Amino acid sequence: MSLSTLTKPWEAMSYGFLDGSAKRELRRKILKSVAVPGCQMPYASREVPMARGWGTGGLQVSLTLVNPQTRVKVIDQGADDSVNAASIRRFIARVAGTPTTMDTLEADLIQSRHRIPEEILREDQVLVLQVPNPEPLRSVQPNMSIARQMHADADYGRMWLQLYEQIVRSGRVMQGASYPSLVHGRHVMTPSPIPRWDVPKLHMAKHLTILSAGREKRIFAVPPYTRVEPLVFSDVPYKIEEHGALTCTRSGTKGFFMNEIPQDDGSSAFEVSDSEWGVKTIRANDREAETRGETWYKDGEMPQ
Amino acid sequence: MAYVATRGGERAIEQSERLFREEMGGFDRNRVNEVKQSLPYLIDRVMGEASLYDEDLAALALAQTGGELYEAVLLLRAWRTTQPRLQVATPIEQDTLFTHRRISAAFKDIPGGQVLGPTLDYAHRILATDVLQGETYAPEPVEPAAEPSPAYQPSVSAWQAENDLLDPPADDATKGNEIPDLTREPLLFPSKRAHTLQSLARAETGGVLALGYAAMRGYGQAHPTVNELRLAEAEIAVTHPDGRQFSAGRVKVSQAEVVDKKGEKLGIGYGATFGWNEVKCIAAATLDLNSPGAEKGSATEEEFFLYHTEGVESSGFCIHFKLPHYVTFQSSLDAIRDAKAKKAAKHTQPSSSEAVGQTKSEPAE
Amino acid sequence: MLATPAPSSSETRDNTAFDALLWALSRPGLPRSLPEPGEASIIAALLDRECRVHSADPLLMPEIMRTGAELTDIEHADHVFLGTMAGIEPLVQIATGSDFYPDDGATIIIRARLGTGQTLRLTGPGVDGSVTVQVDGLPDGFWAARMSHMRYPMGFELFLLDEDQVIGVPRSTTVEVL
Repeated sequence: MSLSTLTKPWEAMSYGFLDGSAKRELRRKILKSVAVPGCQMPYASREVPMARGWGTGGLQVSLTLVNPQTRVKVIDQGADDSVNAASIRRFIARVAGTPTTMDTLEADLIQSRHRIPEEILREDQVLVLQVPNPEPLRSVQPNMSIARQMHADADYGRMWLQLYEQIVRSGRVMQGASYPSLVHGRHVMTPSPIPRWDVPKLHMAKHLTILSAGREKRIFAVPPYTRVEPLVFSDVPYKIEEHGALTCTRSGTKGFFMNEIPQDDGSSAFEVSDSEWGVKTIRANDREAETRGETWYKDGEMPQ
Repeated sequence: MAYVATRGGERAIEQSERLFREEMGGFDRNRVNEVKQSLPYLIDRVMGEASLYDEDLAALALAQTGGELYEAVLLLRAWRTTQPRLQVATPIEQDTLFTHRRISAAFKDIPGGQVLGPTLDYAHRILATDVLQGETYAPEPVEPAAEPSPAYQPSVSAWQAENDLLDPPADDATKGNEIPDLTREPLLFPSKRAHTLQSLARAETGGVLALGYAAMRGYGQAHPTVNELRLAEAEIAVTHPDGRQFSAGRVKVSQAEVVDKKGEKLGIGYGATFGWNEVKCIAAATLDLNSPGAEKGSATEEEFFLYHTEGVESSGFCIHFKLPHYVTFQSSLDAIRDAKAKKAAKHTQPSSSEAVGQTKSEPAE
Repeated sequence: MLATPAPSSSETRDNTAFDALLWALSRPGLPRSLPEPGEASIIAALLDRECRVHSADPLLMPEIMRTGAELTDIEHADHVFLGTMAGIEPLVQIATGSDFYPDDGATIIIRARLGTGQTLRLTGPGVDGSVTVQVDGLPDGFWAARMSHMRYPMGFELFLLDEDQVIGVPRSTTVEVL
């Protein structure tokens, strides 16, 4: 045996940046996270050439999954052209030679920060969500050891109490994005800071969703056809953002999650948050080819 | 095609990086060498926080980032993480350290002697403004002592253990691959001893100091006496696959032992890092000293200080707040407006408890 | 700067094998194709020196040892290769993790024949309603022993291997023998 048998031929950079050991650990942990939906699995989380908190968790998953045939789409706040989405997309393409796309329907893998696209994802697509804080109990228990105990005991009483107190005080649950949801009837999970509008898209979806927090070193998943139920009381139903009746001033599309743009006269204009959906709508308006797929929401409502 | 026209993301990020780099201009091996030679303590600090011992790479990282320390450490960490782990070196015992400086505040004199070594501790901190007037700063030559101090000494705690003043940590026979490696497995609590020490060794100096200082000021239960502070070089011994041991070179290390009265014995805290970084070692050892039995959520609790002194993570999260958050913000606005509308619809005066009652907001994301 | 690296043949094989495993586990009961027949591609894709492995099949040992993984007894292993099973005894020794760390439950690879034999109905996450599969070559009482040994979220994951075909059965799947 010699030193050379312990290593492999020198490469300036591994394919997909991560080395074999990092990828194998991620593979093992991704499998476990699929096996126990919504349960946070700890992983070493290697440093990558991007700052922590900028999508390094999602990036590590994407880099593990891709091969030169994987068509990658990256969005941030719904937009493909957001600067950090552009940066991540460029990085993946640079280290893994993957083709990229902005079209949700063309993508094999979608890495996203804070949104799920409006078009229905298929069985063959994987959604990777970037997660800043993987712990839904953080607001009631900042200590991670105690929170882990609470998950082990399925002790979600304080979570419920917090929601109840909000209803008493404000007449509604005040949680904005990251709405805590029960997965497969066992683990409470944060769906990442997606708006409440997007949470129902995870419930019994056809696609696999992997959620990864690089800084906090936790990975979890929602397999296809898995129950994802926002925590609600039977007499206070779950409320998505009231965007169903809003119209995008740029594309004219209606009934999707919008960005509010403050106007000089004190009013607000709205633009559709899923930027590629906006582009496709504009193209259809210009009588170019129709490229829009089926959407989860129809006329601003999610069919039950 | 209004949307497409606004797609300037790719070009914008490219140009912003160019603007940053323009200020420093191009650089070559000479600048890297200059950084390495002129800023050894900065190199040490960066190597420690990167947990990567390579002066050239550290100097390169500093040159490449214009001295943006968090960026330099991240560059090195991201490089380090892709390197194969070929070997685990033989554990280093304290009495095998080639010692340059070793002092104890606990005793006037110690076996092996107080070795002051290189330090600015007693320097008068006067800025050498003459240099800006064109003078050359030439340090006075060192006059060798009549008798050289011993290069190898046992630790002070070894003497204390011999005299039944403290219980030395149990001998840890874990070897080689078995030693837990923080860079390859997640930090979980209660933390493995190896993970705690590794985590402190690569922690951000300022963060360790801030929390250590809080403990020193009274937000901790134990008050440190510096039992021993040591700056040294350690021999890295590795085993060839054929069984022979050889030296892979020496690395600069620093370590601190701090003690405090604990019942009828002394409690001990320990901190060590790559490079010479005294502040970090003393602060880290103080946190370690305070950690047993610390209250959950206090600054001296292991989970609290290990998480919050991780420089790459804390700095990354801090700057991530520059990223757009308009989706989450929109979602919150929707809840606020709806709650307001509900309140208005009730046409009732808010009760005092409602007016005062604060809904605890979710943690920042 | 640096040119885009191309995947080596082993990278491609590992990536393809993991893709099959991930799909198989995400859609319990639906077979996927590994890059080649047998356990070798699974071993290379998942195992390294951080793993503790048990193999009932001595022929797999060289392959496993090449990864640097530590060989251990069945109850301490995070990956268990059972080959063709003669009896259900090994099943009850397998690590199922804890409520704290369900991920400490093991991953098990077993040889079986798919598309023939006992008919099973699978329900649970990843399954659209229910799916039926035929599996032959598992010892009597296998599925009952699996169920009694696991208490969700503790449990273990199964990969049933027939040449290059693999199906996944995570702990979250309910298996009924029809």
